[in-house]
Amino acid sequence: MFRKKDPEMAARIPPGQHLTRGWPVLSASPVPPFDAATWRFRCTGLCDGADFSWDEFRALPSVTLTNDIHCVTAWSKLDNVWDGVLFKEVAARAGVKPEAAHALVKAPYGYDANLPLEALMEDDVLFAWNHDGEPLEPKHGGPLRLVVPKRYFWKSTKWANEIEFLDHDQRGFWEVRGYHNDAFPYLEQRYSWQE
Amino acid sequence: MAADPASVWQLVERADELVKYAQNRDPQTAYKQARAVLDEAEALTGQLEPNAADGLRTQIETRRADIARFEGTS
Repeated sequence: MFRKKDPEMAARIPPGQHLTRGWPVLSASPVPPFDAATWRFRCTGLCDGADFSWDEFRALPSVTLTNDIHCVTAWSKLDNVWDGVLFKEVAARAGVKPEAAHALVKAPYGYDANLPLEALMEDDVLFAWNHDGEPLEPKHGGPLRLVVPKRYFWKSTKWANEIEFLDHDQRGFWEVRGYHNDAFPYLEQRYSWQE
Repeated sequence: MAADPASVWQLVERADELVKYAQNRDPQTAYKQARAVLDEAEALTGQLEPNAADGLRTQIETRRADIARFEGTS
């Protein structure tokens, strides 16, 4: 159990955050339906293009990563084990054009989150289908969610089904609703007025 | 007590929370409560200087449009 006097554990909790034992369910939109037979994942924008079925996506080289997540609503959850495919593996199959420098990772109902391509290509960024060894529950973004552990968790798009590659930054769903464009938890970058 | 932008923004965030947790309970009730909080926030913008009021009204309108869209899908 976490104790405040454990300095190693305390260092993993960004300022203004508290630990949660559970996993709160938050989403701007309703949970979209999932049908493995019709589900598609598309790469669009500044790339040659790619279009994966669920089976094709699951056949991509997979990884298992463990990391901590931090929600802007102030809870943090440590030691999450994710199975999935690295963002950069997907990008490698999309033929990303050299001028692409940013991306929006999109989901149904108009949700998206923006990040610099450089951030998404890091070795800790993945599209996850399992959490702690179990299929990711729909309420937590299943069948597939982005996981970007270095940013507040709204950047980790639930129900991800598209990457749009861009040559410019374009704010996503929460970023146009008053939340920070960069969203680094250790800098407490919660709101756009801080930019 | 006069409103300030921070107190109006707190109400907007409260509406966001109601929407974000809507799927854990009755979504329609949550959306109705969120709209009521947004109405309260909008009423307070009348006490703000024009630039701050306009920015917050834009945020409020965006959220009302979101809720209307989500109500049609939940």
